[in-house]
Amino acid sequence: MRVVVAEDVMLTREGIARVLRDAGVEVVGEAGDAPTLLRAVRLTKPDAAIVDIRMPPTHTNEGLVAAQTIRAEHPDVGVLILSQYVEPHYALELLQNHPERVGYLLKERIFDVALLIDALRRLADGETIIDPTIVSRLVQRRRQSDPLAELTPREREVIELVAEGLSNRAIAARLFVTDRTVEAHVKQIFAKLDLQADTDSHRRVLAVLAYLRAT
Amino acid sequence: MRGIGYRLDAGVRLTSAALAVSIALGAVSIARGSASATTYAGRSPLAAALTVIAGLGLVVAGLTNAAARPSARGCGWRAVAAGILSFAPTYVAWAGGPPLVRSIAAALTGVTFALVLDLVLRHPTGRAPSRAGRAAIAAVYAETGIAALLLALVRNPYLDPSCWANCSVNSFLVSSHPVLVRTVDFADRWFVAGAAAGLLGWFATRFARGSAPARRHLLPVLAPAAVIAAGVIARAVTLQASPVEDPFYQALFISFVIESIGLTALAAGLLYLSARERSARRAAARVVTTLDEAPEPGSLESALADALHDPELRIAYRVSDPDGYVDPRGWPVDPGAPASSMTITRLARGADTLGLITHRGAVPDLDLQFGAALRLGLENERLQAQVLAQLNELRASRQRIVEAGDRERRMLERDLHDGAQQYLLALSYELRLAAATARAADDGKTEAILSAAIDDAELALAELRDLATGIYPAVLADAGLAPALRSLADEAPVAVEIHTERSRRYGSSVEATAYFAVAEAIDDAIDRGATAVTITVGDDDHRLMVALADDGAARTAPPDRIADRVGALGGELACTPGECRLSIPCA
Repeated sequence: MRVVVAEDVMLTREGIARVLRDAGVEVVGEAGDAPTLLRAVRLTKPDAAIVDIRMPPTHTNEGLVAAQTIRAEHPDVGVLILSQYVEPHYALELLQNHPERVGYLLKERIFDVALLIDALRRLADGETIIDPTIVSRLVQRRRQSDPLAELTPREREVIELVAEGLSNRAIAARLFVTDRTVEAHVKQIFAKLDLQADTDSHRRVLAVLAYLRAT
Repeated sequence: MRGIGYRLDAGVRLTSAALAVSIALGAVSIARGSASATTYAGRSPLAAALTVIAGLGLVVAGLTNAAARPSARGCGWRAVAAGILSFAPTYVAWAGGPPLVRSIAAALTGVTFALVLDLVLRHPTGRAPSRAGRAAIAAVYAETGIAALLLALVRNPYLDPSCWANCSVNSFLVSSHPVLVRTVDFADRWFVAGAAAGLLGWFATRFARGSAPARRHLLPVLAPAAVIAAGVIARAVTLQASPVEDPFYQALFISFVIESIGLTALAAGLLYLSARERSARRAAARVVTTLDEAPEPGSLESALADALHDPELRIAYRVSDPDGYVDPRGWPVDPGAPASSMTITRLARGADTLGLITHRGAVPDLDLQFGAALRLGLENERLQAQVLAQLNELRASRQRIVEAGDRERRMLERDLHDGAQQYLLALSYELRLAAATARAADDGKTEAILSAAIDDAELALAELRDLATGIYPAVLADAGLAPALRSLADEAPVAVEIHTERSRRYGSSVEATAYFAVAEAIDDAIDRGATAVTITVGDDDHRLMVALADDGAARTAPPDRIADRVGALGGELACTPGECRLSIPCA
């Protein structure tokens, strides 16, 4: 697997590169800002780019903008956004235009090698990745009348995994059940919550996250 | 000082009036008597009346003007002199009169026109308008003086073929020079005609350039002056063809009538302007009676503007803190240099300037007629303006403090993000490396310790992240108020519902104030045992409005911290027991 790393703090960038190399991932480019990142992606055509959300010059959302550009110009290149913010707004913004092959993870996840490798593989498979911390914060939101109360504990587990971007097959593997069982759960959940989205597409992640945020 | 000056003036005015009347009476008796064939006034009772009305009219107008407009007094006195000297040609023709009087009268005949030209050029300020204007005035006086002097020294009336009114007397004659006399006569006639033509051209440009109010003020003086100039030119042309100044020659008589009508109109114009100024001043003096008991800041300014029919009138008060000029509402202004049609009247108490009134140039010496009540009103408004200026300054400083605080918060968040959080990340990474090494070496005890350290580091990271967001959420700066409020709701331990009409950006201090006010309100609601909070955000282009409602116990005290923040931006907070509404001005 070939990866480009973009992160303006050198300490962190080198740490990430080292973790990746130790795990057998080939780091084909390193960048400290968005223009360098885009150049590296064009030149090396990697499988994925790991991008810090906050980069020079304004240190606001350069990473998100660069991610949109990469997804639009290179549909085969996955983008994994690293962020210090447990901020659903950024995750939703990332999913808005190109909901597949993108991920939003809290920065410290990067040093959990197993999780990182899993995330890169899921991106390569075309899945979407949303950090579990963000999902659980949205699920646990205090609500005046909580539609999630109608879900069974198992359905709650499933909807969280859907929101994290897992495919039905991945959810089945995680929960030790069959694909068909997961499919049935998802249909049931969407019916209970009156969600209109296609139960199988990438769009369902966005639909579920937006639903969790709005209610 | 001014009082003594007035009394002196009063004496001089009375003397001048008496002198003018006696000179006029003398002129009439000369014209009706010996000079009935040699003067215009002698030609008919109507012509005599015209002469007297023009001359005395100018004297009266000049005296009125000098009294009403001390700063432009020079114009008034010039009119008085021009009026008196307009009788000189009649005294020249005084057959049997004292030769010295006739000789002096002959020398002074040309001065009337020079005075009129001087007066008109100085109108309305009393000062020559430009260097060129001053040069023109000086040149006309000099030419008039030189011509009169030369003719006095070398004109022998007996030898002058064009003599008419006086063919016998010249007390100053030194030696006869008929050729020189003819040359000087010719040169003087055309110089004066040229000056009159120049005056006409100057009127045209000045009138065309002036603003509408300036024109209204110029017209009563410029139009008569143009008539006089036309009369002067007509006379010069006629005399060129027939050099003998015979009043019974129709063309000459017509030019005399034109000139006399012009002088009369000039007198009327000056009187009209004096009367208008006086009524304006009276209106200014009455202004105070139109004000309420506790007038709004600026009402004196608008009342004065109404009274003087001058919507552009502005008052700038002198204040000491902050040092400078402020308008009646306390905002700094620069009275600077006014437009050319405007005048600045300084309000003073002793040597101190209390303020400056910028107003139309039409009313010079505006402050002269300010009564004690109006002065008191102005001083009162100045004190009010001083307080308002300090209040404005205080508000601005309060806002700057809040904004500086927000900036500090934002920088602190960035510092945490780029500093401590990065080092903690590196630490957690190195702990993992160490744990992996221990695992590889089969050192279970060390690995367990390092695993615990990794957990601690991650906890610290999570804590630090929440702290940084609490200090200043990055999403507030990046994406604005609505997304930031939603995130606030995500994290709140009670149900928070956010209603926003549309997601737009406001100024960063407005957004920060609204955000922290909402955060404060949620904490406050939790303290009062609320389980649900509803936040509604809206705006009407000028104000951002936020309504905060919750189901907690009733407030026992108003939420000061919210009020302070909102107040610092000039906003307002209104609370009922169940709901608070805040509004913040936003551009």
